[in-house]
Amino acid sequence: MLAKPVPVAMAQGSSCWGCFQSLVDIHLKLADVLPLLDIKYWQAVVDYKLKDLEGYPDKSIAVGFYEGMARTEEDIHLLKVMRQKCQTLIAFGSCSCFGGIPGMANFSDIEQCYDVKFRHNKTVNGGSVPSVNVPAITDVVKPNTDYAAFDVYLPGCPPTSKLILTAVTALLEGKPLELPPYTVCHYCKREKKETPISEILRPYVGKADVQRCLLEQGYICMGPSTWGLCEGQCVNKGATCRGCFGPSPPIMKDHGAATISMLGTYAPIDPDKLIAQVKDPLGTFYRFDYPTSHLGRIRIKHEEAERRRK
Amino acid sequence: MSTTTAESSPAVNWEPRIIAYCCNWCSYAGADLAGTSRIQYPPNARILRVNCTGRIDPEFILVALEMGADGVLVSGCHPGDCHYTSGNLKLRARWALMQKTIEQAGVDPRRVRLQWASASEAQIFADGVKELTEQVRKLGPIRSEWK
Repeated sequence: MLAKPVPVAMAQGSSCWGCFQSLVDIHLKLADVLPLLDIKYWQAVVDYKLKDLEGYPDKSIAVGFYEGMARTEEDIHLLKVMRQKCQTLIAFGSCSCFGGIPGMANFSDIEQCYDVKFRHNKTVNGGSVPSVNVPAITDVVKPNTDYAAFDVYLPGCPPTSKLILTAVTALLEGKPLELPPYTVCHYCKREKKETPISEILRPYVGKADVQRCLLEQGYICMGPSTWGLCEGQCVNKGATCRGCFGPSPPIMKDHGAATISMLGTYAPIDPDKLIAQVKDPLGTFYRFDYPTSHLGRIRIKHEEAERRRK
Repeated sequence: MSTTTAESSPAVNWEPRIIAYCCNWCSYAGADLAGTSRIQYPPNARILRVNCTGRIDPEFILVALEMGADGVLVSGCHPGDCHYTSGNLKLRARWALMQKTIEQAGVDPRRVRLQWASASEAQIFADGVKELTEQVRKLGPIRSEWK
């Protein structure tokens, strides 16, 4: 006899659908999980509309997943409705937790973004910003936590299928979700000798020793400052960590600052040399969590002030 | 945390607020010497003692700026003179990365200053505070960029 299915809702803001792809990638385990779910809303997957979601009684959905960040008015509305209808709301993926890759739009102001995307797009002639039949876009990427409170954060770009399975199983069984707090280095099998770095290398330079720590060889690896829920997938396969799981718990710390701190400790070399070797530090260290970082907060305040002045 | 002082006061009465992180072994003693030697320097710097500049995470500086500090000064032992051999070299590398990062993010890097001042260099410490204060005064309140 199967237990009564648990009502769940999946919602997507501005994102790539990769996190839900990762959910679908739990593969054969789906056969175990799906019968336990009563899917109440999932854009483009099950045939419910936004008005259906709006029509459910408050807190009638047990678990809600919100993927992506909220860049348009529609995303913000969806996020708020989800908060209203769900008992447990999960920030699903790094975009939802920290702003993620789309959060890097805050490196430029909205007009610059429009220029690149619409007005002077290299593949478009006489482009203009669309205004008909599309939701309004916000002036600046604000982290989802500014619009709604979350109960669970599942970072990752995307969260691994294993992590999703662990989380979903725990939540459906009503057990507390306890995630290990270790960083990526904890799971990395490479040998560390604690030698300082003499030179920072670009990823394509030279040939890395497969046994040794990539950071100690001079490749920028964000493993030491990144939450290791991925269990070191990339580093064990030979790629440096780019920090997609964000900072380790307490997860709202400044990931980029922690990485700069870590890299400075590993590479106490001449500042001019260091600056010449590390290209684009902002894009490297704040790739996944700019909006929730201190620097990102300063930028958000700045952009909002710009808007008010206009 | 209280943020009332700067917001409620009009810009005419604005005084730069500077957070100064000083290492225990050189610059904090240098600041002390500046006081006992009665060297005059602006009272705008709030000094925070850290055991070594190697203790300073870039987050400390970014938090200060986000909370509305108009400038941040870090003062430590000269390279090679660190009480813990290499703490200041680590900070120096972090500083270079951080300075470029904040510049990319649109924060004026002239709001932050790194200087080396030993325990006997009271004048250098005082001059550093003075120079940063004057610089920040020209740049204006950081909060004015958010209003």
